[in-house]
Amino acid sequence: MSAEADRLLILEPGRAERHYWRDLWSYRELFAILAWRDLAVRYKQTVIGVVWAVLRPLLTMMIFTVIFSVVARLPSEGAAPYPILVYAAMLPWFLFSTILSEASNSLVSNANLISKVYFPRLIVPCATLLVSLVDFLVSFVLLLGLMAVFSFWPDWRILLLPLFILLAILAALGPALLMTAMNVKYRDFRFLIPFVVQFGLYVSPVGFSSSVVPEQWRLLYSLNPMVGVIDGFRWCLLGGEAQIYWPGFCLSLAVVAILLVIGVRYFRHTERTFADIV
Amino acid sequence: MAAKIKLDNASFKYPIYALASRSLKVSMFRQATGGSIGDKGGVVYVQALSNISFELSPGDRLGIIGRNGSGKSTMLRVLAGLAHPQSGTVTVEGRVVPLIEKALGINPELSGYANIELPLRLLGATRAEVKKAQQEIPEFCGLGRFIHLPFRTYSDGMKTRLAFAISTALQADILVLDEWLAAGDLEFQERAEVRLTKLLDDTEIVVLASHAPQLIEYVCNKTLWMHGGEMVMLGPTREVLEAYQRSTHNPISLAYAATG
Repeated sequence: MSAEADRLLILEPGRAERHYWRDLWSYRELFAILAWRDLAVRYKQTVIGVVWAVLRPLLTMMIFTVIFSVVARLPSEGAAPYPILVYAAMLPWFLFSTILSEASNSLVSNANLISKVYFPRLIVPCATLLVSLVDFLVSFVLLLGLMAVFSFWPDWRILLLPLFILLAILAALGPALLMTAMNVKYRDFRFLIPFVVQFGLYVSPVGFSSSVVPEQWRLLYSLNPMVGVIDGFRWCLLGGEAQIYWPGFCLSLAVVAILLVIGVRYFRHTERTFADIV
Repeated sequence: MAAKIKLDNASFKYPIYALASRSLKVSMFRQATGGSIGDKGGVVYVQALSNISFELSPGDRLGIIGRNGSGKSTMLRVLAGLAHPQSGTVTVEGRVVPLIEKALGINPELSGYANIELPLRLLGATRAEVKKAQQEIPEFCGLGRFIHLPFRTYSDGMKTRLAFAISTALQADILVLDEWLAAGDLEFQERAEVRLTKLLDDTEIVVLASHAPQLIEYVCNKTLWMHGGEMVMLGPTREVLEAYQRSTHNPISLAYAATG
């Protein structure tokens, strides 16, 4: 018998999961397998999978450009073409919304696993991150195409983009974990999430620059964590044409951190009952 | 390390949210489960296990018998680490492989071959064990080139074969079974029987929940009789089964009781 297979399991009430994070680490291979399986199933019908990842942001970008630029005549950031301004925000927004919807359904759609075998439940919603990230990369390639069309190129700031991608993921993860856990207990959340995603698209500065928000409201507006994420993306991608509003950005960061802590804690708190109620 | 299972005064209850404060349904449920349901603060709890204590060591084959809703399945779930007792302690030493679900983690879109890894990983297999199983399972199932086609294209018999082979691919210290594993057509049944028997022989502790006294008599040397989440009797299989059958008016009907 290999050392790895030797296990001691002690269950008793009030025994805090002291080794929670170490335990999680030991399940990293299962995490990778779950993530790959999600991806394999998603892109099984490869054409539809890729086309969907491209079409959704592209069509939304076109509509937003027409509505906010042509009809409402809102200004862009400096010399950046409006479609690129919109698309640079669409990228993190769709990353955020895909994580939110994929993760929140993950436990319920994997109910057969969860109710039959024990493993840290946190890896199920987290495994959906890979699918969301691949969708994001596909959409990102399209951005480069758009930039070529408009002959508009980013500068060195694009090198910092990975930081903001990480920020977008963390911003989504907190609410996603909260909703994932609640979705197990109250299935009503299934109906709430599409609404939140749709609503969020309009209250976030996706179709317009956040600089059009009146000065006295900007700080309040930054309570929406996606404001900071989107401003960061534009700062990276629009070649110095977009400025970050720092007080608001810091506030967005703080909100992201708070949501993340709440999400992880609530998830851990309810995790043990998932197998009984899912 | 020798395998060991020890339960010390373990109790377990689970909430049913959909039933909250619906008094009619609650009382109906109370009837149906023999009084093991409580109602506390609007949330309904099922007292699935109360004050369970026993100890198993290598060589023990424990059968669990009892009518539907007696706590057999919950007992297995506790041993598999799925249910945490609200009071008392459960200690399990050694690798537990729960064979509670047959098609655990199988995705119909992926090929039979691609479906070997996840179920085994969920049961705690190492990479080496998965590799070995990936060679051995296709051969054992005799699925031929079907092994590389999506699982959903399989006939029922083929699905059963693959699921059976995956479930029984992993050597455990402790095996937890909910009824006997079905094995499909006659030709396959013999080979399946041999495989399962060998797996059980190589396992230190076996726990088998079943409605069928004959099966328990065949496999187990110890038997636990449960009723309403409580232990009624624990001892040598023959004695317990005799007492169990005496307690029911019509012992023959037991073998045909609906599964649950």
